[in-house]
Amino acid sequence: MLYLFSVVFTFLALFLIPGLFISRRLRVPLSLTNILRFIKITASKYDDEEERNDKRDAMGEKEKRASNRKMPKHVAVILDGNRRWAEKRGLGTSEGHEAGARRLLENAKDCFAMGTNTISLFAFSTENWERPEDEVKCLMALFEKHFRAEMPFFQRDKIKILVIGNRAKIPESLRGLIEEVEEATKSYEGKNLIIAIDYSGRFDILQACKSLATKVKDGLIQVEDINEEAMEKELLTKCSEFPNPDLLIRTSGEQRISNFFLWQSAYTELYFPTVLWPDFGEAEYLEALTWYQQRQRRFGRRV
Amino acid sequence: MDSNQSMRLLSSWIGQIGDLGLNLLWRFIHIVVSLWYIVSGISEAIESYAISLGLNKKYSSIDLEKLRCLAVVVDIEAVQDVAKVVELLQWLTTIGVKQVGLFDSQGLLKKSKDLILETVPGSMLLEEIGKDFSPDGKRIALEFISSSDNKEAVMKAANILLQRYLKSSHPENDQGENFFTESHLNEALGVVGENVHVPDLLLVYGPIRSHLGFPAWRLRYTEIVHMGTLKYMRYGSLLKAIHKFTGVHQNYGT
Repeated sequence: MLYLFSVVFTFLALFLIPGLFISRRLRVPLSLTNILRFIKITASKYDDEEERNDKRDAMGEKEKRASNRKMPKHVAVILDGNRRWAEKRGLGTSEGHEAGARRLLENAKDCFAMGTNTISLFAFSTENWERPEDEVKCLMALFEKHFRAEMPFFQRDKIKILVIGNRAKIPESLRGLIEEVEEATKSYEGKNLIIAIDYSGRFDILQACKSLATKVKDGLIQVEDINEEAMEKELLTKCSEFPNPDLLIRTSGEQRISNFFLWQSAYTELYFPTVLWPDFGEAEYLEALTWYQQRQRRFGRRV
Repeated sequence: MDSNQSMRLLSSWIGQIGDLGLNLLWRFIHIVVSLWYIVSGISEAIESYAISLGLNKKYSSIDLEKLRCLAVVVDIEAVQDVAKVVELLQWLTTIGVKQVGLFDSQGLLKKSKDLILETVPGSMLLEEIGKDFSPDGKRIALEFISSSDNKEAVMKAANILLQRYLKSSHPENDQGENFFTESHLNEALGVVGENVHVPDLLLVYGPIRSHLGFPAWRLRYTEIVHMGTLKYMRYGSLLKAIHKFTGVHQNYGT
């Protein structure tokens, strides 16, 4: 009976699924939303089944299963391609970033709906300060605008907001707003949205070293206690239950991590789709998830 | 009551059939995506053989000026086959790559270092050459790296900086701004033996698409390319990856 079902679905989907992807590419209007909702629900149920099986297993087996969990608990995204997206359409850079910001929130909602615990977004790197002043001001204004506008959504969906990075150069109004948003959402659990602003992987490692040095100076820890575990507790991602990303997506086809989560990404699956960030929608995210689920993660060990 | 029970049973069946249908649909998406990757894998294999046979003139000469340092990450399962690693290094020497960092998480390649240096013609250890390395002809400088050069090395370097910080006469409110900078950590990494040669391109051989713990401090702007398994590596794919890298333009975030 199962085989019959799979054959029937195979034939149906031979027309349905390619049509889904082709229509997105050609921008032919089609009612895809319900189809994608069904798929999302299925994918999240797939993970729920894995979790139920975990609970029945013995402890050792549970840990092994957890390491091969089918849905990523922490997804990191490098949002690349806003400027190229705008250039292709004859639009200004600010419109590209605005489109990127809208896409960011839509994708965050999709990720949480699929059971992801933590989403990290590389919104602004340390190197981005070298961009034209107008662009930097536009980006800072965009962050302020969206933090304010999306506050009701964060509170309604109980999403904890954490902003990581060096806050020294951020405009005071934005800094104040960030503190406000973090304070308002700090009690939420289960969904973490980490936004990296003025962040770099090397900065993260150095500030962790400084933090450890300060603790030693203040007598809170001994020099002998400093090890990798102690280091990881000082990194800026300590705020999440899952500090190391399972999946890192960088859009626009560039194949590098550009100083994002250098320490944390040792065993992270790296996915580099060619689509530009404002075009990275539900279908693209589902493709990334399917790709991720086919990987066999070993964390450097022999299987 | 009977009709209520029947209704409950019916809705339960409908729910189960619905779940089964959705599950099959999700599994089918996996099949479609797998098929897509199989087809693109086949076309890549064909292209790679065409490149190896010299049918594609675009790859006949590659300007390697941008590629000062190349790193190769080998999966723990593949690293047992040292002959394949030697073959890869011979290909890289033929292409003209001058400096290669070989990484595997367990350090097995480090243990086979002598065998590799003996077998790969023109090879020498990078640490024996020094900073002014500029080899002539078909010579290649090799560096053997493992996980101990990653987090462990950073911890040792951090301890060196910490000792300096604690020994210095600093004001009470000094948070270490003058002791924990990138250049200080680079220097301390050099002291612990981590040479910090930053690769321009990182080739990953194995089933996993991650850098498997390659020294994090070095990876800031490195292009990372997944090459498939070492067992089925192809000369054409290697040439294509290097050629593609030479065409990449980086803006370094600006």
